[in-house]
Amino acid sequence: MSSPVVRTSTPGAGPSKAPTYSNAPPAPSTSGDSESTAPRPVEKGLETGIFRELMRTTLVETLNEIPGAKTLILDPDVAGPLGLVTDIALLKHQAVDKIFWFEAGPLNVATRNVVWLCRPKIKHIRIIAGMRDYQYTADGLVFTLLLVPRVTELCRKVLEDEGVAGDVNVLPFKMEFIPLEDDLLSLEMSDTARDVYLNGDDTPLYYSSLALMTFQRAFGLFPKIYGKGDAAKRLTNLLERHHSSGDSLYADLEVSDQVDGLIIVDRSVDWVTPMCTQLTYEGMLDEYVGIKNAHIEVDTGLLDGQAAENQAAGSMKKRKHHLNGSKDTLLVDLRDQNFAVIGSRLSKIARRLEGDYGGAKNLKSVSEMKSFVGKLGGLHSEQQSLRLHTGLTEMIMPITRTDEFNRVLEAQQNLLAGYDPTAQMTIIEDLMYQESAWATVLRLAILMSLTSGGIKPKPLEAFKRDFLQVYGYHHLPLLINLQNLGLLVKSPPATSLPFANLRKPLRLVVDDVDDGAPNDISYVYSGYAPLSIRLVQCIAQKNAVASPANVDIAAELDGRGKKELPKAHPLLGWKGFEDVLGAIPGATVDVRQRAPGVSGRAEVRFEQDQNQIVTTVVFFLGGCTYTEIAALRWMAKQTRGRRFLIATTGIINGTNLLESLGEEKPVELTR
Amino acid sequence: MSVPAPTSSWDTIKNVFYRKDEVYQMSWQIPDLSDYLVAVGKNGGPIAIMRDERKVMLLGKHMPGKPKIYMYTSSGLPIDSFAWDLSPPVLLHFTPTHLLVVSDEGTYRLYDLSNPGSFAQHTLGGESGEMGVVFAVAYNDGFVVFNGGLHFMEVKGWHGARPIQLTSSQLTEPPSSWTVVPPDQSISGHVEVLISTGSTIITLDSLERIDQRIDRGPFNHILLSPNGRFLALITVSGMLWVVSSDFARSLSEVEISQIEGLDGHEGPVEQAAWCGDNAVVLRWGGKVVVVGPGGAALRYDYSPSAELAGEIDGLRIISSSTCDFVQKVPDPSLAVFRPGSDHPAAILFDALDHFERKSPKADESIRAIRPELASAVDTCIEAAGRETEPHWQKKLLRAAQFGRAFMDLYNPSDFVTMGQTLKVLNAVRYFEIGIPITYEQYLASSATSLITHLISRNLHLLALRISQHLGLRPDMVLKHWATAKISHAREMDGQTDEAICQAIVAKFEKEGERSVSYAEIAKKAWESGRTTLATMLLDHELRAAEQVPLLLQMKENKVALVKAIASGDTDLVYHVLLHLRRTLSPGDFFHILDDSVSPGLTPAVKLLQVYAREGDRQLLRDFYYQDDRRTETACLEMEEAGASQSQEQRLDHLAAAAQSFGQHKDRAFEAKMTDDAHRLLTLQLTYEKELSSQGLKFAGLSVNQFIYELLLAGVNKRAEKVRADWKVPDKRFWWIKLKALAALKDWDGLEAFAKSKKSPIGYEPFVTHLLSLSPPHPSQAATFVPRCDPKARSDLYVKCAEWGKAAEAAKERGDKAKLEQLRRTAPSGLAQRDVDQVIKSMTK
Repeated sequence: MSSPVVRTSTPGAGPSKAPTYSNAPPAPSTSGDSESTAPRPVEKGLETGIFRELMRTTLVETLNEIPGAKTLILDPDVAGPLGLVTDIALLKHQAVDKIFWFEAGPLNVATRNVVWLCRPKIKHIRIIAGMRDYQYTADGLVFTLLLVPRVTELCRKVLEDEGVAGDVNVLPFKMEFIPLEDDLLSLEMSDTARDVYLNGDDTPLYYSSLALMTFQRAFGLFPKIYGKGDAAKRLTNLLERHHSSGDSLYADLEVSDQVDGLIIVDRSVDWVTPMCTQLTYEGMLDEYVGIKNAHIEVDTGLLDGQAAENQAAGSMKKRKHHLNGSKDTLLVDLRDQNFAVIGSRLSKIARRLEGDYGGAKNLKSVSEMKSFVGKLGGLHSEQQSLRLHTGLTEMIMPITRTDEFNRVLEAQQNLLAGYDPTAQMTIIEDLMYQESAWATVLRLAILMSLTSGGIKPKPLEAFKRDFLQVYGYHHLPLLINLQNLGLLVKSPPATSLPFANLRKPLRLVVDDVDDGAPNDISYVYSGYAPLSIRLVQCIAQKNAVASPANVDIAAELDGRGKKELPKAHPLLGWKGFEDVLGAIPGATVDVRQRAPGVSGRAEVRFEQDQNQIVTTVVFFLGGCTYTEIAALRWMAKQTRGRRFLIATTGIINGTNLLESLGEEKPVELTR
Repeated sequence: MSVPAPTSSWDTIKNVFYRKDEVYQMSWQIPDLSDYLVAVGKNGGPIAIMRDERKVMLLGKHMPGKPKIYMYTSSGLPIDSFAWDLSPPVLLHFTPTHLLVVSDEGTYRLYDLSNPGSFAQHTLGGESGEMGVVFAVAYNDGFVVFNGGLHFMEVKGWHGARPIQLTSSQLTEPPSSWTVVPPDQSISGHVEVLISTGSTIITLDSLERIDQRIDRGPFNHILLSPNGRFLALITVSGMLWVVSSDFARSLSEVEISQIEGLDGHEGPVEQAAWCGDNAVVLRWGGKVVVVGPGGAALRYDYSPSAELAGEIDGLRIISSSTCDFVQKVPDPSLAVFRPGSDHPAAILFDALDHFERKSPKADESIRAIRPELASAVDTCIEAAGRETEPHWQKKLLRAAQFGRAFMDLYNPSDFVTMGQTLKVLNAVRYFEIGIPITYEQYLASSATSLITHLISRNLHLLALRISQHLGLRPDMVLKHWATAKISHAREMDGQTDEAICQAIVAKFEKEGERSVSYAEIAKKAWESGRTTLATMLLDHELRAAEQVPLLLQMKENKVALVKAIASGDTDLVYHVLLHLRRTLSPGDFFHILDDSVSPGLTPAVKLLQVYAREGDRQLLRDFYYQDDRRTETACLEMEEAGASQSQEQRLDHLAAAAQSFGQHKDRAFEAKMTDDAHRLLTLQLTYEKELSSQGLKFAGLSVNQFIYELLLAGVNKRAEKVRADWKVPDKRFWWIKLKALAALKDWDGLEAFAKSKKSPIGYEPFVTHLLSLSPPHPSQAATFVPRCDPKARSDLYVKCAEWGKAAEAAKERGDKAKLEQLRRTAPSGLAQRDVDQVIKSMTK
């Protein structure tokens, strides 16, 4: 069922609770509908492009410090993020001759300089140390090691232990926030959740704090910091510590007049959300195709169109494509929509494009013709992106029609709603017995444990036993890790699992959300409002927690209404949700930051100007999902005067999260 | 009180004005400077003198015994003195904070000016040590020595860097003279040496030796002008020759004996120096001559002797009784004060005079220069900076202020800055401070270097006030003050550690901003043996990165670890962990990390595990063992089982894992599972051997995959055994078998299996699975539909593309709606006809 076969038959009706995905004929629409050619005026936010410039400058300066032609050897972990801010031309300009991937074994270089760029991981350092076997330094090669984001004692130690400390020039290469989109910054660190919550290694937390300090140097101090969870608290402490350390970098920071606060979402407070199958377009792409460093790997045919005809079966070539909203207006339109409505959106767009092209017939004057030709370029790129998104949708649509997908969704929605957990266990078992992907099964089991306060000892043990027999005993450490994290535990649980108590007060399960014209963030999971984002709403959009948004607003969003959006209320802390917070384990963060020597109330400034637009930064510690991003973007459109800037340690989904918590697959036995 | 006119010290060489001002009357009692080696600091810096032992002295003129080095201010006030106990020095040189003394045996010391008792000693080593040092010349950031092996060695910086040998000079005897071109003035950007040998001059750096092909040598003196653009060369025969520093242009040639005012019997020049970039000054004993281009000269007498100290904008002449400063009169001063000057600034200055005397001429003068008023005002401000006498400074600034009143727009920042600067300069020029720094020198060297100079003289209060006056951060001053306080406190034992600490903290909080680092001061305290004080001070340090290394040095291991953890900087924790691992025995190391005793250390323990997992397996094993962490030990074994390629090793690791789990009271399930894993692998290997003829591979498969593969291989008995041994539930087994039979396309077998008993998974999976295969098997799938739930049959038939049967199934249930739907959705052609037929048969 993994191969995307496009079937022509209509799908069977899905289970009652779960939404069904059918390619029902699109609603009739006029071809003149121009929702994407005349985009709504966007409230301009912070200039996040400076982070891109910052990194480019750092790269240029760092490479310039190494005189002469160089061979660059890249850690794939760094290359992906680096590719988002630079290109080959820029590197060539800095005398980079060739680029290779990190690999053990002899080098094949024609330049005097060899430059490694990697995260400070012991395995990388060992590879570099291995170079001494080839006597390169005797040949006059000069080795430079750039460590991202800084040089660590640990690496120095390993270099010393390996006896090559003197042969390698070690420099830091600061890589912090990378703007994936105008409203999305990512540190693009992998496995943050594993390091912080499982291994107790707060290194990613420390790097996050440095990146947030850089952010504050650019835009001013966050006037307020809110958050929930012990790691959020530790991060806040670090930020305060940096600020008061007297480090000259941070000594003269003023309170920001553009940013009204930082909200830290600690992943350990909400494991439920990533365990759910994402139902937005971009979320689905991540779940079923995979998005890495904002790149997606697709058949070349989808990208240039020509190859589509001569695709000899199975010989399709894959190519990486950068999903980028600033270049792809269709993507901006589609990415945060529930997948159920993507089909109709696409056909609407297709009709509009057809109409626009068809406009050529009705041209009456030369000037009309001129303006039409001017539009052609835009039309062409829209057409290209339409082909891509239609292709991708065609790949995913059959998956959504499988029995497996619908049963997973059924179990998921029932578990979230707290409906008959025992019956869901049967579904999970069935999925396991048919050998659905292990992560799919485990995600549901975890969801069950989280939402119903653990699983009774007997069924849990039976599940684990079956799971290990079906998918292999090498998953045993993973199961232990999940137990340690409180993700898959027997009832009654040792630490509180508050989901059941949060359902009502936070309105986590919403029955009547319209996927096409949503009035609540729960549309991203067709009826489940991500806990993480509800918590953000507790601070930044209090009334949305209790009741759905006014439907008129949704109409307005479609560009039809003229009614003015309500003004966003200032950040007033957790007020009104103290009970909810009390139910969730972990510290609560509510901090006001001031510039030294200033005692005045900083927030007054924001309230004076009715039309001023402020930005609230939401930082996901431990990674966020595309659905959470979609929910925040949707929230930003509900009020006037506040924009959300999403910052994260990385973008995750349930499957890669679980993969990071387990061991690697056993190697082949050879002897 | 009448103040002498500024022009009273002016004199001319040809048409160029020079001035010589007496800066100080020397307070010292040194009858004859020629007995001494003398070093003078730049920018009004201090003077160091030391008896020159190579000169024969009258007995009793000097104290016998070890020679001493005396330091004085430019005004001759003693600063300090200390004994020199090494071989005779070849160079004394002031760096901004230290006095460098290079001995002829290749050892050099850097005396801390603020505490001359303490010094850092380095040796040049190698050839310089064996053959001795003949000459040494210093520049801003280092020095170059010429050693007995006739090689030039460069030492960069003042921190004991390893000497670098310059390219071979190919000399066979010491040069008649040489000098250093500092890196900021050389073409190559590196240190260069100019050597006079034979008749030519050689340029030498670390890579090249270039003969400049000059035929007028040898030269007794090679002098580089302060801006690095000119060279003054004095030949043995007594010719002063000025050339551009690239030897391309000859600028001036003067026969020294022909200089007016000289009697021609002076002999070789004893000392020569540049006066700014404008003139060369020569000295014989106390006879000083300023030589301008073309041989015109000014002559001064300072018998019995004097010392020349070149500055960027002039020259200090230090004699036993005075400290004078000679310079070309700066342009702004010239504009205002030159007799007969018609510069607007001069007129403005004059106008002020008229104004103060209430003369109407003031207005007239202002009118006359109206268009150039701005430049007049600027020039007056500039000129104020060039006067040392406060009377004239004030008067010039008043003139500027007066002119300003007539202007509509004027940016007063230059005026304010000049006032501020002059206040600073006048304060440090005061004779008790004795730093005769000029405005030009101050600009060129920056306020910070002046403050550095002041604190190196332990003038902390003045330095602090100046910092505050100029709005600079006071950290540097406070830090130095605290350090000095600690080292002085050593001698007067009355002060307790608490008192000193309190005094320092109070001062820091009063004068400094938050940013002053306590760690450096704590380090000084520790180095002076005051451990308690160091600990107290360190507690005030906010930056853990500064705290921790010192704590480790002080062997405060646990405190260091706690502070590192509190900092949140994991790398700092690693720093401590790795240090402790290096310096402690394993037992002590684990003892410190026992987080059952101190729970605050848990983060460090976790980090240790993260590190050890990749970097030091044995350490990790030992740690788990001594800490009774069975689960972790077992997981480690599991991981290693997965990583080992050999069967025996993997089995051993699995057994070990099972054993470790078994030792934990709550891990019975895990122990059973690992035991099962062990059993599974063993069985898989056995079967591989038994079925070796078929070349099957089972090792590493899961239980499910194992059964599936056995079924595929047709060894059903064995499959059944695995099923029984692992108690595989019926439902699961049915799925496995269904898939296996479908993969084998064993349709009869599948049918038999389906019939063997009532399927625990129902029969829909039979249909859907056969359809989901690639290629699908719809006709086989359809055979199972009748066994499915009647409600689902119709749809299942549709999936098998059996439209007629689908319609029949709907008909059987009397489901008209379904039939209607089928009629609409069925593809045209045969399918459509089948459906229609069924519908027709119903209506019949």
